[in-house]
Order: sequence, then C-alpha cells, then structure tokens
Amino acid sequence: MKKNLLKLLVIFFVLIQFDSISEEKNYHKELIADWSRIFPDQNRNAGGPMFFKYIIDKEITYKDFKEFNKLYCAVSGSLIDPNAEPDFIYANESKSGEKICGDYYKCCIPCSCDIMKYSEVEKMKHKFLDGLKEFYVFTIRNPCNKKDFPNRVNKNYFCDGEKINDDQVYSLNDKLVIGLLHEGRSCKKNDIDFVNSHQVTGRFCEFRNNTPLENLKTGMGDIFIKLAR
Amino acid sequence: MKTKLSNFFKKIIFLSVLIIPNIVNADFFKDITAKIADNPKRLSYGISVADIDQNGKYEFIVTGFGYPNLALSYENGKLINIANQNIFSDESRKTIGVAACDVDRDGYEEIYFLNTDTYSGTKKYSDRLIDLVGSKFLDMFEIKKNKEDLNLTAGRSVACVDRKGDGKYGIYVSNYGGPTRFYEIENKKIKDKSVNLNLDKVTGGRAVVSGHILTDRSDIFAANERGANFLLKNNNGVFEDLAFNYRVDDVIQNGRGTALSDILYRGRLDIISGNWQGYHRAYVLKDNQFKDIGNSKFDKPSRIRTIISADFDNDGYDEVFMNNIAEPNKLFKIRENGKFEEIKLETGLEADGYGTGAAVADIDNDGILELLVSRGESKEQPLTLYKAKIDKQTKYLRIKPINKFGAPARGATVTLISNQRKHSKTIDSGSGYLCQMEPVAHYGIRKNEKDFKVEVKWTNGSKDIIKIDSLNQTIIVKQK
Repeated sequence: MKKNLLKLLVIFFVLIQFDSISEEKNYHKELIADWSRIFPDQNRNAGGPMFFKYIIDKEITYKDFKEFNKLYCAVSGSLIDPNAEPDFIYANESKSGEKICGDYYKCCIPCSCDIMKYSEVEKMKHKFLDGLKEFYVFTIRNPCNKKDFPNRVNKNYFCDGEKINDDQVYSLNDKLVIGLLHEGRSCKKNDIDFVNSHQVTGRFCEFRNNTPLENLKTGMGDIFIKLAR
Repeated sequence: MKTKLSNFFKKIIFLSVLIIPNIVNADFFKDITAKIADNPKRLSYGISVADIDQNGKYEFIVTGFGYPNLALSYENGKLINIANQNIFSDESRKTIGVAACDVDRDGYEEIYFLNTDTYSGTKKYSDRLIDLVGSKFLDMFEIKKNKEDLNLTAGRSVACVDRKGDGKYGIYVSNYGGPTRFYEIENKKIKDKSVNLNLDKVTGGRAVVSGHILTDRSDIFAANERGANFLLKNNNGVFEDLAFNYRVDDVIQNGRGTALSDILYRGRLDIISGNWQGYHRAYVLKDNQFKDIGNSKFDKPSRIRTIISADFDNDGYDEVFMNNIAEPNKLFKIRENGKFEEIKLETGLEADGYGTGAAVADIDNDGILELLVSRGESKEQPLTLYKAKIDKQTKYLRIKPINKFGAPARGATVTLISNQRKHSKTIDSGSGYLCQMEPVAHYGIRKNEKDFKVEVKWTNGSKDIIKIDSLNQTIIVKQK
C-alpha cells in the first residue's frame, strides 16, 4: 500500500517537474518572428500562398503543419489570433466538382465567403517528419497571366513571368495553393445544410456574394477576388 | 514499523524539496518609498543614474512631463531632490528620455534630456544637453553655435555611444516619426552626425541600448514601433543595420524596454527586448543569429515599458524586472541555461501603477541595489522605491570602470570569472525604456563561489584583467 502510494507520489512529482521544464511550441510566436522572411517587402495582401510555402518547407510534423496553418488567413494573408475558432465551410474539389467540407481559419467573416466562392480544393500528399500524409488544400487558378492582377498584391511573390514561381509559393497542377482546409472530407447532406443555413456561411455569404465587386468594402475588399476570379 | 514510517516521510520530504525551486513565492521586495523625502503625485518618465554635482556620488535623475526634472541624492537616509536650477528642472519642456555621458571629455558626464511635446513628428521644444560649469548648469544647445542641429522631432529614448572607442561619446536619439539623431561634439560644436554614420532612419523609435553586442566596439540595438528594430553593427565607427540578418528585426511587434544581459552566463551580452502587448524576447546569439529562448511565462504579452536585468538579491543570478503600465509588474530570475523562473511579486506588483520608467543603483552604498520606479503618463502618481528583502550577510562585488578621461566608461563590458560562471554586464549606456542605470557592474556572489577575477573590456575593445582578493567592495578600474 505504502509502496504504491510512494510510486504515485514519485510519478506526480516527476510530472510536476516535467511540466515546469517542458514548453509547448508557440507557433504564433514563430510566425511573428519570421514575418520579414515570409514577406520580405512587408506586403501581406492576399499572402496566404506565402505562408503556406513557408510552412510546407519546414521540417515539421503533421501536427505542427496543421497548427501553423490555423494561424493565417488564406484569403487576406493576415495573422490570426491563436484562440480563433474556424468556420465550417465547403468548397468544390477541382477534379470532381464534389463539395468538400472542413474547417477554415479566417481573419474575418467575409473571407469565409470569398474562399467558398473563389477557391477550389485539391488533395495533396506530403511527407512530414512523422510520415506521408494526405490532406485538402485551397487553390486558385494561376493568376500570373491576369491583365488585371491586383496592384496591391506583390506579383513578384507569386509569379515568374506568366508562370507560378515555385521558389516562393507552392503550386499543384498549375494552381496556386493558398492554404489548408482543416479536417477536409466529402460533405454529407446535413453538412451542406448546416453551411447554407449558418448565419455567416449561409445568410451573410449570400448577401456578400451577390454584392457588386465595386461595392465590396469589408474583408479584403476586392483584392483577393480580383486575384482569384 | 516506526523506522519504515520515518523512511517513508523522509522520502516525501525529499520529493517536496525537489519541487520547491518551482514555487518561489516569498515576498521578494520591500517597499522603501518612504525614503523619498518629498514625493508628490506627478507625471514622471525616464530615470538615469549619474553624478550631477561632481561629488563622486550618484543621483537618480528623474524626468518630469510638465513637472520638474529631479536629481534625487541619498543624504542622511533619505532621497532628497538637489536640483534647484531652472535649466535642469525645466518644468515647461516635458522631458521623457534621459542619459548621461561625458560628451566633452572633461571627465564628467553631461546629461541629455529628451523633451517631447507631441507624440510623433515635429515638436515645439528641442532637447537639452546639460553641463555643469562651476556651480551652474548650462544647456549646451542654447549656445549659439550649437543651434544649427537642434532636435525638433518627437522622440523617446537616448543612449550614449563611444563609437570610435576613444572616450568621445555621442548621443543616439531615438526619434518617433522623424530621423534618428546622433549628436557629437566636433570642433567644439554639437553636430548631428546621423547622416554620415548611416543612422538617419525614420521610424517609430522607442528604446535603445549600446554595448559589445556583435563587435569589440559599441554596437547599437534599437527597439522600434511600426517598423523593424535596428541592430547596428559598428564598422570602425560607422554603422550597418543587420537586424534582419541576425533575426532581431521583429517587424510586426512594437518594441519597448530593452536591456543587455548575459542570459546564459557565458561571458557575452545578449539582448532582452520587451514588445508592447507582444511577445517579449530573450535573444541569445548562436551561429550568427539571435535565437529567442524566452519561455511562455517570460514572453507573455503585456503593456511593457522598462525592462531591467540586474541582481537585486545578491544571489549571483540576475533578475529581469518588467515594468508594465496599468498592469502588474513582473520579475523573473535567470537560472542556468537561460531558464526564466517567475518570482511572484507582492510588493512591487503595482497592479494600478502607471509605470513609465525605472532604474537601479546602489544609491545608499550598502551593496544591495535599489530600484526606483517612475510613474505617470495618464495619471499622476508618486515615485516608488524598492529593495530586495535579503540577508545582509550576502556578498557582492561592484566594478566601476572609469575611462582615460576619468568618466564612467559607459558601453564597456565587465565580466566576472569564477569557479562557477563567466558573467558579463554592460556599463549602462542607456537601457530599459527612456532610462539609464548606474555605470557600475553589480554582482551578487553565489554559494561556494571562489577564484574570482574580473575582465574589463573597454569601448575600444582592449581588455584588462583584475584579480579579486576580497569581496563586498566597489572596485574602481581605470583605463590605462
């Protein structure tokens, strides 16, 4: 009895010691520290692709990859508060046109509408420190040959002439990867109903997505839309 | 049975002792504010420690924003304001930053008062550079020949930089919304040399420190707001910004209090930099880049103002005092391997304090540092004064390097070498936020520590080694 009590106490004390010396990785702090490396000219407008490339190039585990990808907005390029809650959304898969549901971490609600309307998802595989993993990413069509490429976005980040610049951003089947769809999976009917009836992804997005481009003032305004449409 | 039970309890006691270092809760400071003779509510900002009356004793110089600048001298057990000349007190000019150093090479320090009557950009009143001539203070900027280069931009902190290592100090003025200034006396005239020295950048300047950060000369680290920090490497007296290369640019954080500290007790100065409601950094140089090793308790965002690294309790480990505004202050002890251990404050917490600056000095000359905290900004508050609650038996060693002109060698580095550590401290050129500490390297002595010697690296990079025969003294080391 006493032996067991002592064992328990030893485990308890060891855990206390371990807790005091172990440190949770601070993903947000790391992104802030490396901001000037992610955005050398400090222009983060529509900078999701820069974040994604920076993260995928790291030697990290799949868990780290997912955590990092919760901290920026794929539409605006803004950093997101570490405690932010995602919106449950859907986007069409490029090849099949099937609706894929999952969590999207956004800086503000209009971005959820923009990503649903103007991006597509693709399945991607990548080898992390803990093995090969498969997941869905948000993509937009190659914007580099656009005549109306938005001037508030740094084209040099994304493009090498009319091609996507794979040294600075990540492309998949000539599409620009802008972020991660968390916990992506084929939508079920009730998922779609949930999204369509939600006050943001349903009602607000219907209003936003029917607003003429020149009248869009919230979120990224028309910057991302011009890049992605 | 009795023996078994006794062994059991012994084991419990042993395990409890193991966890005690993680719970440091005894009250660390005692409040000795009553030692300040006349302490009305006021708006105070930066504090410097210098000898204003050239009597060999240091005073706390406390700036006032629409209130008089003070010079608090320790006399008969009290801190008494001895500044009674208008040019020094200067109630009308709204002083916030202060630093002292010997700019004219007469062996005595002049005092730079940074005045700011606007948040950013052009201001109405220029700064003052106070010199004591005979028994009168005069503002060197009021002399006609010195009026060409007045600083008419809002600013924050100032630091003294002996950029050539020849004892000729210049003053780095961290301006806000206008170019940085660097004042030196050239041909008996005060000149702004910032353009020639690559320092005239426009930013939201907040804090500045100078010392042996990268080279054997005085380098500069400037913590900025709404823009990248500067890490200015001294290349033969001209500066090159390498903040990006060394990963201390921290471009989307808003810099505040900054201090040089030997975080790893390895005989070099690293950088502690607080960010306003952002992550506080403990930058340690490794493989030509600074790595932030602050743990989650240390880096937790706060409304930070001044940061001080000093050994308050004379145990041989430095503490980091974080002075927050309208938010409780914090204190950490830096253990071996850069582990920051939080010391829960009761006295000195100042949860309702509007902290604007702080400085340390052994003002009463008893071998234990005093911490003076200034407060104000949006609410008039009196000054507060603290001292670690410790046994008088603790040992200490204080090293006061004097340069070849007889002035405090601000920017020199002192390293205590013993059987237990190699511990560097800067002779403060300006640090914290708006502040400057006493120009003395103060070391508490560890348990069982022995075989002491001290190395002084001067601002020109040359070194002197001093053998230490006895403790509990202040040793004045003169540059040859």
